[in-house]
This record gives sequence, structure tokens and C-alpha cells, in this order.
Amino acid sequence: MLSGSMPAGGELLIPVTNSGYWAFGLREYPPGTKPSLSVNLSLSLTFPSTSSQRATSQDWPPIKPRLRDTLKSLRLRQRGYNTALFIKVYMEGVPIGRKLDLSTFSGYESLLENLSGMFDTSVICGNRDRKHHVLTYQDKDGDWMMVGDIPWDMFLESVRRLKITRPERC
Amino acid sequence: MNYFPDEVIEHVFDFVTSHKDRNSISLVCKSWFKIERYSRQNVFIGNCYSISPERLLRRFPCFKSLTLKGKPHFADFNLVPHGWGGFVQPWIEALARSRVGLEELRLKRMVVTDEGLELLSRSFVNFKSLVLVSCEGFSTDGLASIASNCRHLRDLDLQENEIDDHRGQWLSCFPETCTSVVTLNFACLEGETNLVALERLVARSPNLRSLKLNRAVPLDALARLMACAPQIVDLGVGSYEDEQDSESCLKLQAAIRKCTSLRSLSGFLEAAPHCLSAFHPVCHNLTSLNLSYAAEIHGSHLIKLIEHCKKLQRLWILDSIGDKGLEVVASTCKELQELRVFPTDLHGGGNTAVTEDGLVAISAGCPKLHSILYFCQQMTNAALITVARNCPNFIRFRLCILEPHKPDHVTSQPLDEGFGAIVQACKNLKRLSVSGLLTDQVFLYIGMFATQLEMLSIAFAGDTDKGMLYVLNGCKKMRKLEIRDSPFGDAALLADVNKYETMRSLWMSSCEVTLGGCKRLARKAPWLNVEIINENDNNRMEENGYEGRQKVDKLYLYRTVVGTRVDAPPFVWIL
Repeated sequence: MLSGSMPAGGELLIPVTNSGYWAFGLREYPPGTKPSLSVNLSLSLTFPSTSSQRATSQDWPPIKPRLRDTLKSLRLRQRGYNTALFIKVYMEGVPIGRKLDLSTFSGYESLLENLSGMFDTSVICGNRDRKHHVLTYQDKDGDWMMVGDIPWDMFLESVRRLKITRPERC
Repeated sequence: MNYFPDEVIEHVFDFVTSHKDRNSISLVCKSWFKIERYSRQNVFIGNCYSISPERLLRRFPCFKSLTLKGKPHFADFNLVPHGWGGFVQPWIEALARSRVGLEELRLKRMVVTDEGLELLSRSFVNFKSLVLVSCEGFSTDGLASIASNCRHLRDLDLQENEIDDHRGQWLSCFPETCTSVVTLNFACLEGETNLVALERLVARSPNLRSLKLNRAVPLDALARLMACAPQIVDLGVGSYEDEQDSESCLKLQAAIRKCTSLRSLSGFLEAAPHCLSAFHPVCHNLTSLNLSYAAEIHGSHLIKLIEHCKKLQRLWILDSIGDKGLEVVASTCKELQELRVFPTDLHGGGNTAVTEDGLVAISAGCPKLHSILYFCQQMTNAALITVARNCPNFIRFRLCILEPHKPDHVTSQPLDEGFGAIVQACKNLKRLSVSGLLTDQVFLYIGMFATQLEMLSIAFAGDTDKGMLYVLNGCKKMRKLEIRDSPFGDAALLADVNKYETMRSLWMSSCEVTLGGCKRLARKAPWLNVEIINENDNNRMEENGYEGRQKVDKLYLYRTVVGTRVDAPPFVWIL
């Protein structure tokens, strides 16, 4: 019988049964590490991206337009048309933060543009850079994450606060 | 067989209907090739750009039914820009010029125009059946032509099309003499419907088996329609609101009770949950139930309906049914073969409607399950391993975890082992969609075990080119490979150019392939159309000489015998 839990450390091998089933090793990643993802997720303000390597709310999840529209109008009816979404924004090293209504932005680009203006510096998502400040956010689990990995609408659901980090800090 | 007259061989061939089998037959010898050519009734063309209408007509001069598919599958998810292609007009024109006795036309993801429909309706005396799936470009005026001119129309089946509804009188264009309609599906029309014309048409169509209405048909009209057509087998209920009129509800219940042949139910586009119970009397006979648009019906009402559906073979539903609801399905629907669970909350807003538990319950309760499409917020390897053990008969397995890169939510591991278990157990697996956090390892398993796999959809998965290479090298029967947002690049793309001749098509978007790589591919394989779709900035790709390293946004390549297509828009480069 397979169980859902694994012993801490080491590999779990499921024995081959009489019916000739499989033997699987569940590779264990050392605690604290995650597999490295080599997907390039930079969304830079200075060059419009020709290859937007992220899902937009128009093409993810993979459902047909009719269902997408049905669910969108359902959502709007359920949530009310004008719900503001104010969150705190801090610049690392600056004790006083700002407040921003995320519902006024259509996506990551307009958010970055606005933040860059608000803090008078260049703010980007993604790749660490010596020149630019990188935007991070705290999600509903309390974890600090890189902004830009998930679809915008999904981000709006899980973001709790924003932090603009110093270059080279992430 | 060579000593039989041709007519006898032809008669034998008549029993062979699968186009794959007929293709095999035609390869046996010249004589069989010739007999098969002239006797082929149904032609299937999976990619309209792989061949031209002229060559089709030269090879098969006598066919009666044509199926054509245009845009790639990811066009369903807005990944293919408007105007890309898939125009049916040249096909209709060529067929109209020839003397082929077309009776049936089935189109999927193609651009159709009113002029094309008018030409179609006038050119083929015996035209009987028009099936349009996910098409666009036409209006109800085109439908009016079909209704007016096709004297023997049997099927008008419009599934999920974008139709410009001019709120005209297309339904009243069916002449009074038209009594042959068997299938009438206009659920995707947004506008008002001439209810009087509809009722009269239904009343004079004794062979009507499938009727799917749109939003505009209210309850009392539905009751009248069902009363006119108690022989109905497949019903699509339109809008279903307004339960205020209890007399309508009673009339509906009375009409429904008479529909003893009803086997398939769909629609409920705007549904008042309480009237679902009107259908309980016929539930015990239902084999197919599609509630995937009934977004406002609460899970509990869905469950009450399903509890009566013991013979259900196909169920399409929203995840508002919940894991509990799926447990009810698992214990009630022992004949279930196909299940699709669609998401209601697109953004993971904490509403974990269905989880891995629902999937496991279904796999344990439904022994005949062979096709699944499951959208969920979370999954575990353990659950997938259990599902694989419970259901080794999957032909289609599509799992979509809504959040890209999401790992096993219990162990935080990638889901490689779970999907690995699926491909190893399901020896007949033909179609697979993977999701969640996945490394190259899952593709090693797929290449190793998924020997029958014909279609694979990959999103946000893999680490290196090795992943894609495992698949290309391992899956000998691969026909359609579609990849998005995954780190596969030129090395994988170019490793085995001849592989693409054995496939229908390859789609790669937001991956690591470069323009230079695509150009190299196009040079090596002149029998491929290598298309770059570049909507953002037409000219940037050629600038500043870095084109070799410039990443390509969308790549679509397919084998073809007729070379570069001439109808490509400016944002599509064919290399």
C-alpha cells in the first residue's frame, strides 16, 4: 500500500509487487532547497518584452473563451464592481511606507511604472540586477516572493504587501 | 483478394470507415489504392494547410463528407492572434467548382464567412450536414442561407462558435417544406431567437433528435418545445431562469416526463437551481450530462441531480461540486467513462473546491473511466500514484493545476513521480496534459513509457532541452506536441528534424527557441512550414543583427505537401 507520507531524509522505494508493478524512487531534495528553475522570467521596463514568459489572465488557465467570460461575469457579480485593494509598499531601508490601490492597475507593467514614479527609481520584476530595484511581495502564507511569476489576477488574490528591495539583495 | 472484381473489393472496403485504416489499405498495392480512392466517402484533414483543395479533389474525386481543422489547439486559449489563418473560403470555392457531391462539412477552428456559407448552400444539392466547432467570422445571415437553400438539411450543429448575431430571422428561413432536421444546435448564439419560427420548425421535424437552445429561450417556450418533440434524445436547455411562473415549471415537468428517449442533457446557461429538479424523472436514463456552464448552481443542487443519474457515461461539471460531490459521483455513476471538471475560481483564491481527494475518489469508484480533464488547485504524487493504480485504462489524462509550477502540496516535491506512475500504468494513453512543478524527469518517464501517446500538452514544465528530447526520441506515435512557457530551446528543436515529418504539428510559445534556430530548422526541412507568430513588434526581430539569438515568441510548425501558404498575415513569418 502506498502512503502519502515519506520518512524524513533519504529515498522512498516502493517495492515491486507480484503483479509486476513499478518501483519508484521519490527523490528527496535536501531540506531548504528547491529545484532550480531555469525559466527566465524577467519583465523589464526598459525593453518591451517580445517574449512574455508568463501567463496572462487571457490565456491561463487553459479554458475556452465562453467559459472564461461566464466565470468573469460571475465573479464581477459576486465581488461587486468597485472593490479597492489597498496594500502597503515599502522601499527597503526607508522606514515610512506608502499605500497603493492595486485594483487601479491593469497588470504588472502599469504597477512597475507607477512604483518607479512613486519612488523615483527604476523598479523591475525578476532578474537580480545591479542597477534596478527588484519588487517583491508577501503572499497570504506570509512568504516573500518575487513579483511577476504568476498571472496578475492571481497575484491580486494573494498579495498582502509589497517591498522594493535593494539591488543584489534577492 | 486480387481475383475478386473491383466491386467486391469495394464492398469490403465499405466496412472500413476509420480513415487511418483506409489510409493503410491504400498503401497495400496500386489496385487497392485506386479502388480505395474512388470509394472513400469521408475525408479527414487534420491541418488545412497540409494539403490543397485541388490535390484533395485529384486524390478523392467522390467523397461526400469533409472534415477540416484550421488553427492549432492553443488558439482555444487566445494564444493565436486574430487573422492568423484557417480560412475555409478557398476550400468551399474549389469544391463548388468541382463536381463533388458534398453532403457534409465539419470544420474546427476555422474562419468561415457568410459568403462562404451562401456559396456552400447553393453549390451542393444534397448537402445535409454542417458542423462548426470553435469557428468564427460569420453571422446569422450565413445561417439564413443554409436554412433557406439546403433542401435536405439534416444537421446544423454550432458548437462554441463566435457568431455575429444580427437577431435576424434565420430560423424562419427554413421553408415550411423542410421536415428533415435531425440536429439543431444554436446554443452559442447570443441574441434573441424567433420563438414562433423555432416552435414551428420543431413541430414539423419528426426526426429531430438533438436540440440545443441558446440563452434566449425561456422556460415556458422550452416546455412547449419539449411537448412538440418528445422523441428528443439530446437536449440543450437555454437560459433557465425565471422560475417565478410555477405554471411554466409544472408544464415543463409534464413535458419532460414524456421525453422517455432523453439521454443527454446540457445548457443551463443561466440557471435557477430549483428547476433542476424538474429533470429528476429522466435522470435515470441519462448517459451524458454537461453542466459546465451552470456557474450559478450550488454544489448541493448538482449533487441532488447526479444522485439520480446511475447510467451516466459522460459528465462535464464545474468544480463547485466539490470533493464531496465527486464522492457522490464515484458512488453513483458506475458507468462513467469520461469526466471533465472545470474551474470556477480562476485565481486560487483559497476556495479549494476540488482537490486530489476528489480525483482519487473518482478513480476508485468508476472502473470504466478512460478520459479525464481535471482542473484543481493542488495535487500530490501519492494521489496520482493511487489514481494510476486504480485506473490503468486511461486513454486521455489531462490534469491542470491552476497555479503554474506548483509542487506536491504535502511534500513540496515536483510531480514527476505522479505523472510517471500515470504513464507507466496506462498503456493505452493517447493524450496527456501535464501541469504543476515538473522537472526533466517527468519527460524521461513520458518518453520511456508513453508509447501510444499521440498528443502532449506541456505548460510551465521542465528544466533543460533534455526534457523535450526525451519526448521527441521516446514517443514514436506523437502527432501533436504543444508547449508553452517551458525552457526548451534550439538544441531540442533541431536535434531530430525528421521527427517532424512523422507529426502533424509542433507548437512552442514563450520557450527558449531563437530566430536563428528556427531559420536553421526551416533550411534543413523544406517540407515543413515553420511559422513565427510575432504580434508585438514586427520589425524588431530583424534589428541590430542579434536575430540569431533573438527569442521567438510563438513557433508553429507543421508538415505540408503544398509548401508555404499564401494567406498568412503580416505578423506571421514563414521561414
